[in-house]
Amino acid sequence: MDDTTFSYPPIDPTTFDLIVVGTGLPESILAAAASSTGKTVLHLDPNPYYGSHFSSLPLSDLPSFLLSHSQPAAVSLPTDLTTFSQSDADDSTTASQSDLVTVDLTTRPVYSDVEISSHSAELLELSRKFNLDLTGPRVLFCADSAVDLMLKSGANQYVEFKNVDGTFLCSGDGKLSSVPDSRSAIFKDSSLGLAEKNRLGSFFKLVEGHLKEVGSDGGSRRISEEDLERPFVEFLDKMRLPVKIKSIIIYAIAMADYDQDKLEGCKNVLKTREGINRLALYHSSVGRFHNALGALIYPIYGQGELSQAFCRRAAVKGCLYVLRMPVKALLIDKESGSCKGAKVASGQHLFSNEMVLGPSFMIPWPLANSLPDFLQAKLEDIGRDVRGKVARGICITNSSLKTDVSTCLVVYPPKSLYTEQVTSIRVLQIGSSLAVCPSGMFVVYLSTFCDDAIQGKKSLHAAINTIFSVATSETRENSSYEKSEDGEVKPNLLWSALYIQELSMGSFDPFCFTHMPDGSLNYNDLVDSTKEVFQKMFPQEEFFPETTFSQLDDDGELGPSPSDDSLDS
Amino acid sequence: MAAPPARARADYDYLIKLLLIGDSGVGKSCLLLRFSDGSFTTSFITTIGIDFKIRTIELDGKRIKLQIWDTAGQERFRTITTAYYRGAMGILLVYDVTDESSFNNIRNWIRNIEQHASDNVNKILVGNKADMDESKRAVPTSKGQALADEYGIQFFETSAKTNLNVEQVFFSIARDIKQRLADTDSRAEPQTIRINQADQAAGAGQISQKSACCGS
Repeated sequence: MDDTTFSYPPIDPTTFDLIVVGTGLPESILAAAASSTGKTVLHLDPNPYYGSHFSSLPLSDLPSFLLSHSQPAAVSLPTDLTTFSQSDADDSTTASQSDLVTVDLTTRPVYSDVEISSHSAELLELSRKFNLDLTGPRVLFCADSAVDLMLKSGANQYVEFKNVDGTFLCSGDGKLSSVPDSRSAIFKDSSLGLAEKNRLGSFFKLVEGHLKEVGSDGGSRRISEEDLERPFVEFLDKMRLPVKIKSIIIYAIAMADYDQDKLEGCKNVLKTREGINRLALYHSSVGRFHNALGALIYPIYGQGELSQAFCRRAAVKGCLYVLRMPVKALLIDKESGSCKGAKVASGQHLFSNEMVLGPSFMIPWPLANSLPDFLQAKLEDIGRDVRGKVARGICITNSSLKTDVSTCLVVYPPKSLYTEQVTSIRVLQIGSSLAVCPSGMFVVYLSTFCDDAIQGKKSLHAAINTIFSVATSETRENSSYEKSEDGEVKPNLLWSALYIQELSMGSFDPFCFTHMPDGSLNYNDLVDSTKEVFQKMFPQEEFFPETTFSQLDDDGELGPSPSDDSLDS
Repeated sequence: MAAPPARARADYDYLIKLLLIGDSGVGKSCLLLRFSDGSFTTSFITTIGIDFKIRTIELDGKRIKLQIWDTAGQERFRTITTAYYRGAMGILLVYDVTDESSFNNIRNWIRNIEQHASDNVNKILVGNKADMDESKRAVPTSKGQALADEYGIQFFETSAKTNLNVEQVFFSIARDIKQRLADTDSRAEPQTIRINQADQAAGAGQISQKSACCGS
């Protein structure tokens, strides 16, 4: 970052239990988890900063990051890569390690259709005052698994949060309705009649009864298996909930991604079981922590702090950190085909039995050197499971999209912006009190799932044109009003970055690649899959053993012990 | 800085977060352990396991809780997390008087601080290992003093081994920070949320809900 005359330092020791390349959140969690069980870990990153695809970047660094990861690596990597087969000859003569072959490692594009527009020249001068999330919009639910993991690992000591002040759902008429934080708030809603409130009351009673018994065997108050398996939207219809409440529950609390009203074409039907779990997550998030008023919290200085917190945790447990250190090749065992280490940019060989690679690394095909046939076949087989795309947008503005609220989430459910809109578009505004932008400004993140860039961009533009007043030279069709449907003055768009991100899943065999940031609002799925990777890698070890403090609420002391459950069976 | 939780408020009048910065091997952890635990060990190789230490001191009748953070070894390859600098009120810049490069690197560390720490953070320059034989000394006291003067900060030569000036360094920076905090009247900032086991509001319904949704 500051040294232009940087030379690669030698790394000592050279053998580890685990080498992790990339400092995204999953990689950082794995480094911390392994270090916590006493494994020796080396954590590398080619960048001069932490976070990889999960980082929060200054304004001027964000476009270059997106662009450098939106084209094949041949352009962005140093040219000496091409001389690689030559150095392989030297490698194979290294006496004790002659059973290893080197296989080049490079990066693949994970972003596309990057579109940067700037309507304010002064912003770049303030570049370092911005911490822009690559993973936005993203929040934590107070009771979600990322929060639990931070508590369990001790990473909670390094991050402070603030509340998201409110959540709003845009209804068909363009009005924003507030999502209630509590049951009593719903019952105060004057737009609901007495009959509707009664139905709502019995719905909550049913859900609560179900949740109380779900941990135990049997129980008469549980929702039937049949109901749990059916679409959540049908279940809510059966409960005869008012349309507005139904919509709030599905899109602004359970955070469904696709149109649940058109089930036949829907890519991801939210089942009742999952819907109720998400409702429970929201409910238990409210009031979990002292002075956290709502369900959602956001880390001060941006989401990139989370990776750093786990890296600090790992370092405290002995993990060795080297940034600005590209990995040029993997060392593969000729016999087994498993990865035994890495060759870094300095030329140094580093060894380990386990290896974790960030999501944008890949082995270029065809290989530069010839390998035994079985190994060729094995490496050729490395496919990445790509599950669609997510369109993301980062906008900077100088006034809030909702008066009197600085940090808020707004959900534009399917069809609320245009008739063919099949996905929900989530918009998260973060104010300067969270130290992500200069004071008086706001960062607004948008995201939506999409099949392709055209569809994704269409959704983002529709939302941006609804929310912002875009500078006249850039004005797009149908966007000339200056006031929103609510009559609020639209904020000016000062700067924006729109991009399409691939949703690649992690893989484990033969090499472990971690996930790209997923399309959800929180890290729940990501934490779960990271835990799975750890358990596959170190089946004998606990994922973050309990530290000194005991967690009364988590080790079941207050709940019934298993032997007490025999009453019903 | 986060306001202390209500129940701990009686413990102290000020909570001050200090950082130790400097090259590997200059004795940061030794200074920390000497000040917090009164201990010293020469067998220290690389910092493992020290996150931060706490010592409460008294200054002018006020109880000041010092929370002093170590680098966790992340300084070795210049890979300190930017998060390390968040909320720091004072930074001890440490070099080894027998190692000239550790002294020359102080300028790089200051540049790093300017980038990542808050603008008004207090700094103090510390030349450690001052007990070493004069024949081994590579940085004369006058050079250290000149650098400190250039940046307008205080300067001490210390020895964690003999406990020379260790108390003075920490008390000195704590006094400056306390003064600054008192002057600015530390107007009430909006509260931040720390996630802690103890801060969980325990409600009866809470527990059953929680086990239902976060079974893993």
